[in-house]
Amino acid sequence: MLRVRNDEVENLSTLFERYHVALFNFFLRFSGDADGSEDLVQDVFYRLLKYRRSYKPGTSFRTWMYQVARNARNDRFRKQHDEVELEAAPVVTVLPVDPVDDQQQLSRLKYALMQLSEDKRELLLLTRFQGLKYDEVARLLQCEVGAVKVRVHRALQKLEDHYRRDFLRRPKGNVGV
Amino acid sequence: MECHDIVQLLPDHLQGTLGAADSQAVVAHLRECAQCCEEVELWNALATIPEEKPSPMLRHQFEMMLEAYQQGRRTQALHPHFGWSSWFRIFAPAGAALALVVIGLVAGVYIERGRTNPEDIASLHRELANTRQLVALSMLQQQSASDRLQGVSWSTRIDIADPQIKDALLHTLRFDGSVDVRLAALDALRRYTDQASVLNSIEDSFRNQKSPLVQIALVDFIVEQRDRAAVEKLKNFRQTPDLNPAVRQRVEWGITKLSRG
Repeated sequence: MLRVRNDEVENLSTLFERYHVALFNFFLRFSGDADGSEDLVQDVFYRLLKYRRSYKPGTSFRTWMYQVARNARNDRFRKQHDEVELEAAPVVTVLPVDPVDDQQQLSRLKYALMQLSEDKRELLLLTRFQGLKYDEVARLLQCEVGAVKVRVHRALQKLEDHYRRDFLRRPKGNVGV
Repeated sequence: MECHDIVQLLPDHLQGTLGAADSQAVVAHLRECAQCCEEVELWNALATIPEEKPSPMLRHQFEMMLEAYQQGRRTQALHPHFGWSSWFRIFAPAGAALALVVIGLVAGVYIERGRTNPEDIASLHRELANTRQLVALSMLQQQSASDRLQGVSWSTRIDIADPQIKDALLHTLRFDGSVDVRLAALDALRRYTDQASVLNSIEDSFRNQKSPLVQIALVDFIVEQRDRAAVEKLKNFRQTPDLNPAVRQRVEWGITKLSRG
């Protein structure tokens, strides 16, 4: 990113290669809308180019990029208020009932994720899927690291509420991370 | 160790950043506590959700945007005193190159203004809409029919009706060499049919069409618009010598439909 910042903008291609799939999935898991997610990824790289001089050398590029991504998303969906948890999210309409089928279990997990409120979902997306550390998320969300940890715990509890415990198939005790 | 103690440690355990002693304590607790254990299982299960791949179009659009920006900067360096109108006047015949240059200039001008501020953010939507417009106009000029099809597709992603896009689509409908692109352009023009001039122009484009597919699509389009004034145009078109029988049949059907109202 430093090179891009210093007007070697062709290096943006390297950043695109490294991050575009992750960003796409970040947006996709928020909305379930593939076309809209691609638009947002495009917007993010456009903004990275446009605001490249606002990147501070020595700081985490990834954190900055996700800040840009959040801004892009917020600008796009400013008028949509879905703070209320989506009890009847339309993304998945048929719930699987067979706990043995891995594919159905996966669908159920995705469904549970989509049922979370946006702030909880975002937290899990950032910490679990995007691989951000708690201190990076804390900078991103402008809060204390401890608060991030508490929120992750609460988000998991809520996810568990949505995802029936019957569908967790792993035997107890196999919990290594 | 109790659950409320674990809560403090569990998040670090999940990300694997916990020290050895604490980690051991957490694992020991998890063996005995089903509730905490399920939380960890759920965290692990999240990793099984597979990553989706974006379409190749995303890369194409990115490369186009970057190329446009670089081209804009190069050109700007050669002619630093030229304004927008000059660029348009000089590069208008260049078609796609023009659009790419302008996109680059848009990005360049904004970047030269320096850091982010609220006004920039407020104008970003408009700027992005402009970018889309320019990408659409550029792609409609490309050699490849698939690129021009994508140009038509981009034209539909612009939130507001745009006169330049409208003109470009009308031109495409009349003169594009690809049937698929002409059909797509006709479809994209539906959003402009509240303008009488557009409707007339579409109806008049019969005379330029040689493809029966497009001719039939035009008949359907006219019937769909319920423009009774178009009956005479259809009747004139029916007189065309060597008209494809299927098209003639469709024209007859259109005349009947519109005459009945």
